[in-house]
Amino acid sequence: MTTAVAGPVYAADPPAARLSVTLDALVAVYHRPSGVTHLLAAPSPELLDALADGPADAATLRDRLAVLYDLEGDGSATIAARMEELVVAGLAWTA
Amino acid sequence: MAQDYDKPEKNSGESDANPLGVAGRRGVLMLGAVAASTVVTIRPALASTAASVLNCKIPIPDPAHSGQYITQDGRLVAPNTQGAVAPPPRPITGDEAKKMINGQSPAGFDPSSREAYVNYIRRLQHGTSGFTCYASLQAPRP
Repeated sequence: MTTAVAGPVYAADPPAARLSVTLDALVAVYHRPSGVTHLLAAPSPELLDALADGPADAATLRDRLAVLYDLEGDGSATIAARMEELVVAGLAWTA
Repeated sequence: MAQDYDKPEKNSGESDANPLGVAGRRGVLMLGAVAASTVVTIRPALASTAASVLNCKIPIPDPAHSGQYITQDGRLVAPNTQGAVAPPPRPITGDEAKKMINGQSPAGFDPSSREAYVNYIRRLQHGTSGFTCYASLQAPRP
């Protein structure tokens, strides 16, 4: 099986490194390694959870989310934009 | 067939994984627009937290690569490589890193090396010395 890697591969700390509290449409995420709290909106919390299965590029993340959810909206480009936000916030990094 | 929408829900024991989920139905996940922002970082207001963030240290390079030079775009190369700068004389504190990222040149560091150091710090990854310090500095600027 060939896998075309179109963009960066992202990784995140395991879920145990984060304390998450759902606040209706938002999720408050306390990142234990940095001691910093972030407020996330969909689909960012789902993307972090999807990285628990290991590092992945945007297309792979979209496929992982599609197993769990009916996706609405643009695909990989949106996911890549959200991942860049998570990288800037220190919640994820490029592997 | 890039996706299989008929797969059964996988997260039966994980209620937090799907905040929009409805029992027995797949949740709909809105991916939104590229330009929409979904991450807000909360700046710690506690003085003690701020102090620990500003006093943490970022060694350049990390101890495993001691002595290596830093290119302008922040990569580590062999000592004396042309175009690369020498490492700073001591680890950079969180406060100094913050100043450098904001374009200032704190005392004790060669101003012409600032860009290389900042790019090195930006490239820090999880597991590298200083990453946690850098991650702690990440907060929206007014």
